[in-house]
Amino acid sequence: MLASRHVVVLQEGPMTVATIGCVVLLAGFVLGSLYKAVRYVRMPMHVRWELYPVAHEKGKVSYGGSYFEELDWWTKPRETSLVGEVKTIAEEVFTLKAVREHNPKLWLPSLLFHYGLYLLFLLGAALLLGGVADGLGVVGLGWLGGGKVLSRWGVVALGLATLGCCLLLLRRLGDPTLRNASSPADFLHLWWLLAVFALSWANWLVVDREYTVAAGFVKGLLRLQVGGSVPALFVAQVLLLGAFLAYLPWSHMTHMFAKYFTWHSVRWDDAPNIAGEAYREKALKLLMLPVSWSAPHIKGDGKKTWLDVVQERGES
Amino acid sequence: MKPEPLVPPVKVRDIAKPTPALSPLDLQKIVPLPPPYDQIDPQTLWKELTAERRQEIDASLDGVSALSLKRPEDPQEEERLLKGFVEGLRKLLSVENNWTFLQPLQLTLDHCTHCQTCADACPIFVMSGRNEIYRPTYRADVLRRLVARYGNGGNPIKSALTGPIELNWETLARLAELSYRCTLCRRCAQACPIGVDNGLVTHELRKLFSQELGIAATECHANGSMLQLRVGSSTGMTPAVVRDNIEFIDEEMSEKVGFTVKTPFDKVGADVLLLHNAGEILAWPENPGAFAVILEAAGISWTMSSDLVAYDAINYGLWYDDVQFARVALEHIKVAKKLKVKKIVIGECGHAHKALTVIADRLLLGEDNIPRESALTFLEGIVNSGVLKLDPSRNDFPVTLHDPCNIVRAMGIVEPQRRILRRIAPRFREMTPHGVENYCCGGGSGFAIMSPNNFANWRMLVSGRIKMQQILEAFKDELDPAIPKYLCTPCSNCKGQFRDLLRAYGAWERSRILYGGLVELVVNAMADVPPGFLEWEFH
Repeated sequence: MLASRHVVVLQEGPMTVATIGCVVLLAGFVLGSLYKAVRYVRMPMHVRWELYPVAHEKGKVSYGGSYFEELDWWTKPRETSLVGEVKTIAEEVFTLKAVREHNPKLWLPSLLFHYGLYLLFLLGAALLLGGVADGLGVVGLGWLGGGKVLSRWGVVALGLATLGCCLLLLRRLGDPTLRNASSPADFLHLWWLLAVFALSWANWLVVDREYTVAAGFVKGLLRLQVGGSVPALFVAQVLLLGAFLAYLPWSHMTHMFAKYFTWHSVRWDDAPNIAGEAYREKALKLLMLPVSWSAPHIKGDGKKTWLDVVQERGES
Repeated sequence: MKPEPLVPPVKVRDIAKPTPALSPLDLQKIVPLPPPYDQIDPQTLWKELTAERRQEIDASLDGVSALSLKRPEDPQEEERLLKGFVEGLRKLLSVENNWTFLQPLQLTLDHCTHCQTCADACPIFVMSGRNEIYRPTYRADVLRRLVARYGNGGNPIKSALTGPIELNWETLARLAELSYRCTLCRRCAQACPIGVDNGLVTHELRKLFSQELGIAATECHANGSMLQLRVGSSTGMTPAVVRDNIEFIDEEMSEKVGFTVKTPFDKVGADVLLLHNAGEILAWPENPGAFAVILEAAGISWTMSSDLVAYDAINYGLWYDDVQFARVALEHIKVAKKLKVKKIVIGECGHAHKALTVIADRLLLGEDNIPRESALTFLEGIVNSGVLKLDPSRNDFPVTLHDPCNIVRAMGIVEPQRRILRRIAPRFREMTPHGVENYCCGGGSGFAIMSPNNFANWRMLVSGRIKMQQILEAFKDELDPAIPKYLCTPCSNCKGQFRDLLRAYGAWERSRILYGGLVELVVNAMADVPPGFLEWEFH
């Protein structure tokens, strides 16, 4: 194995546990995320609920204007800009603009934390790429199999993430109003991540300073190799991180992809129903759904449809 | 100075505690106004409910009552209400019963990180002195916890992660009241980095209470949308009364402007169907009058309708009930179709703008989808056409502009009204902030028409206070009552709030601040009209 000289002081755990555990937990992450995304995608068309500024409004986004500002707007071509959306999202992802403007006390901790996570994600991607490159016999990417570059990368990423996580936790614990407004899950996530980072530091310090063990493990994972052994500390880190990832789709942390829906599909969804045709089929289907709201002015019995109830006058 | 005693902040789960008031309004903490208005003691604007009244109704949220809810008479009734609420939760999260808002609601329920980035964006939370129960996440978290614990049979793991909550009468009554402590301005949603919309939570809670339990603000439901559907208008005006009133306004206008003004009714084939908030006809007749003057002077082919519901643009369902919303919207469209108009122009009424133009949009199929346009855009078209001779010197007094949330933040109509003002009002100045970042007037989502118990006092002291602050800041160098000032407010609902707000703070007497619409200013600047269209009288 690729263990460093420090490994001798550690009890080694079976590779099988880490590999199978990792596969199961990663599958949980992927399937859970897919389930959640598909659930949102399959939700029916909603009524419009946009909020300005709408990032794709060409030439008007700087002040939050819309096509409704044009006289006889329905007769004019609608100009939208995908660049506007990408720019706004990028600004949010890379500068945490909303937090900076509206919640400056939380901005720096949050920025450090998020940058740490972005770099850790890239580190994982680099290890994966290294594994794939190795499998395909691609030359020139040997540095992705571990070494000083990854080591420094890991330190910076882990440093930022840990510092950000600690500062966020301190703020949540130390600010009585923020603590009061937090849910048990908010603390669980931060403590869990902190535990993952702590194990990651321990691995870096004791077992795998240059990420060679991790790179070897990823290579084995790609080949679904079981057997052999890796250090117990490394197994613990993999399983704790894997469990966190498997849990993630069931938490509010899916905001990383949910933003597509909350922003693109709700906040910026200003597409007009020109001439009543664009949404005809969808709307007709939805208007035929049964209503069971019980208030006296509706008296939905589960048989009457939306189309029925909206044509009634209702009782007081 | 003695340090303030540490009072533990109200927790989400405290909503179920049987205490006389969960978090009463603390008048000492209310944010002060700029001088000289800082001398007004909040106590003078406040009304404590009497002990007798508090026996009759539930005011256990904050000592205020918007809904006049009565406690259940016996445990059976309480049980029925609680069961109904749980049933309502299920329906709120079902495709069949809530396809209209299910996706945005579920996204909001699933993704709040409680970072509190939204908190300072909420004027009610800030101006109340940061009362925890007005925090935008508070009511949303109550709902989240109830959904986790009771929704669709409940989920113990999710409930443990979301946080503890009990459902009892206190929770139900306070949550219903709490859904009427937010004006749905959606500044919180605008601030959220994730796109969570706590304003939507308020909307959905109101729907649950109305559509399942029949609990809604009387002014919005029984005396609002129900009255409109039955009699024709929430003002109670019948078609004959509307025609009489408009005829009277036309006569007044003709006399003032020196040419004949005649509002056409039910003109088949007109280019434009103009929908006014009927409240204008009664409370601010100069507004529909000014519209008529402009349209006649511009030679527009237009009409109003005298059909039931269609002579009143309001659609209060927007604030609390999808079914009522759809019923009213369909009536508006039915009349436009009957009159074969080319477009509907919505007068100076913010929520009517959003209701018919945005929210109803995807439900209007085929020939029902008659184009709808804002009066502000339409008016700019007339001004730009040059058909009106305008003399800005007629409006040589300080003017500031209020941005109605439904027109600006919810529809992105920001510049047309400003371009008009820059042309006709040489002393126009902006409020800070303005445009899509504006603050609500404090009367949004129906509040302006709601004054039961001590709710109007709360509106003046809390929900409207930041706007009062903004108005005073906008005119800060000219607060002298010798200088007349104009608060331009192109929205009936906001005008209702400003009437109460400026009166409560004595801003007419102290600083000569008058409020009114945009069309009045346009007519006041018309060179072909005798000077002095604007009457500097507060009403």
